[in-house]
Amino acid sequence: MIRLESITKSFLVGKESIDILNNISLIIEEGEFVAIMGPSGSGKSTLMNIIGCLDKPTSGQYFLGGEDVSNYNDKELARVRNQSIGFVFQQFHLLPRLTAMKNVELPMIYAGISKSERQSRAEDALRKMGLEDRMDHLPNALSGGQKQRVAIARSIVNRPKLILADEPTGALDTKTSMAIMEQFRELNQEGVTVVVVTHEPEVAEYANRTILVRDGMIQVSAAAERGQRT
Amino acid sequence: MSFMENMLMALSSLKAHKLRSILTMLGIIIGVGAVIIVVAIGQGGEAMLKSQITGPGNTIEMFYQPSDEEIRANPNIFQQAPFKQEDIRALEQLPEVKQVVASSTTLSAVRYQQDTADVSSTGINQAYLKLNQLKVEKGRNLSTADFLGGRRVALISNKLQEELFKGKNPIGKIITLANQPIEVIGVLEKPTGLLAFGSMEVYLPFQTWKIIYGSSDFTQVTIQADSAEQLQTAGKKAAKLLNRMHNTEKSYQVINMEEIAQGVGQVTQIMTLIIGSIAGISLFVGGIGVMNIMLVSVTERTREIGIRMALGATRGQVLTQFLIESMTLTLIGGILGIFLGWGTSEIVSFFAGWPSLVSWQVVLGGVLFSMVIGVVFGILPANKASKLDPIESLRYE
Ligand SMILES: Nc1ncnc2c1ncn2[C@@H]1O[C@H](COP(=O)(O)OP(=O)(O)O)[C@@H](O)[C@H]1O
Ligand SMILES: [Mg+2]
Repeated sequence: MIRLESITKSFLVGKESIDILNNISLIIEEGEFVAIMGPSGSGKSTLMNIIGCLDKPTSGQYFLGGEDVSNYNDKELARVRNQSIGFVFQQFHLLPRLTAMKNVELPMIYAGISKSERQSRAEDALRKMGLEDRMDHLPNALSGGQKQRVAIARSIVNRPKLILADEPTGALDTKTSMAIMEQFRELNQEGVTVVVVTHEPEVAEYANRTILVRDGMIQVSAAAERGQRT
Repeated sequence: MSFMENMLMALSSLKAHKLRSILTMLGIIIGVGAVIIVVAIGQGGEAMLKSQITGPGNTIEMFYQPSDEEIRANPNIFQQAPFKQEDIRALEQLPEVKQVVASSTTLSAVRYQQDTADVSSTGINQAYLKLNQLKVEKGRNLSTADFLGGRRVALISNKLQEELFKGKNPIGKIITLANQPIEVIGVLEKPTGLLAFGSMEVYLPFQTWKIIYGSSDFTQVTIQADSAEQLQTAGKKAAKLLNRMHNTEKSYQVINMEEIAQGVGQVTQIMTLIIGSIAGISLFVGGIGVMNIMLVSVTERTREIGIRMALGATRGQVLTQFLIESMTLTLIGGILGIFLGWGTSEIVSFFAGWPSLVSWQVVLGGVLFSMVIGVVFGILPANKASKLDPIESLRYE
């Protein structure tokens, strides 16, 4: 599903170029549930942005579903984000003036799906997240867990093969976090590849593989491999 | 994404900041309103001037403009009345001519008992009375019998009544015009209007006038046609007829209304252009206001833009979204401006007695133009929005 080959990413800070990701090679198979862990500032989000086609690597190659997307232009990347990837963010990133329903419809609007089809799919997704009685609520009227559920509903309406969640439980209490992780597990069991960035070991427990990132490099953790792979 | 969808999205964005949207529209509302007012009043004025030249009863005045040769042959030609009685009779025979209004005016002294005054004394035919609607305030008007019998009766103006009779009732009194006694049968209404001062006038049946002053010629001739369309033809034919009868080339003429209408049109067009460009400048300023607010809006909604991009919006779709938003803003402003301009020009024309004319072309032009303004002044902000970096935008607080 995902194959990164010698990916590096550097940012220009002033006149200096700082390497944030250093020669990262990584394969994630279809249907996997992967947790990415590592200290703050180690480059997890930067890596996720590249995997999510929100950013381009400085060098290296990225194959998504067999396609080399490293040289895609902005328009092609937008299409990939729209069709093949679902995003879930720590800060939910819902549009505050749109109802839950309209928020979930957004990715389908950019996919050019008809209004009636959009509505029925958005309803299904929200129902699946247990939000059938919150469809017409504005994000402000929802709890953190409900907001994140709306975000998950939004990430799945275009039926992507891959869901990327960057610290999806970072703003939630433990109980809600576990409920949200249950949703990801359910999606993963339906065949969707899930990649979650997290600090919390309890969250990483849900994954069947953990990737450790430190200083922009991947550390293979044998212990983690042994503990989680069943 | 369809245009309608974009439009609805734009409307809900604009609704989110109602006050700001309305204030931003204000520049466009006033600008478009001003353009509509200027054009409406300009076109109304043009229509009014044109109708004034034609006159209310489809009439056209004939005039005599002697050639240099004629003047050389007869240096006193300007003292002579140019229209003969047979001219009038011949003109009345033309099929396009409904009636011929003829009159002759001379300056004359009038006396009542010991008082005298200088008046303009006009002999009129019956058609003149009908067309000019001389309204009598006191006494009676001239009758058919007065005209046919050449009775020694006269109408006097209100001003003359004041000067000569000083408050006494003039009806039935005998005045002396050119040493001939004339009975006053009626006093004309005071002229109304701001610039009407009232002058010293006497009106007599032409037959009477002819005897008193010993001249059977007319100084003024106006012909009336059955319809406005026939008027120009009637005028041309009349001029041709008189030139033939007097053996002149083109000394008898009518005003060429087409030329005058064109001239008036040019003048009002220039006026409209000048004031219109001032209104255009205010519209330009309004457009800059729109651009300014849209730039603010793009900055405020950086995170929204980042989210949309993360969800798969292309740069083109973001650009379109903001372009349509600014266009919606100016379109609504433009439509409100049209109503404002329409209403205002109606009010202005009501109080100024000057007609206003809002044509559908102007309305359509206003709508299209305000949309164009939205697009033109929306390009910069929309472009800025579409060039944002998705990751940085998502991080924007
Ligand atoms: N656009 C950028 N320009 C410069 N430095 C950046 C930029 N984005 C991220 N960084 C730096 O890269 C490092 C890794 O950031 P990030 O990937 O967000 O880490 P994590 O998500 O693991 O906490 C940080 O030190 C951060 O300051
Ligand atoms: Mg991070």
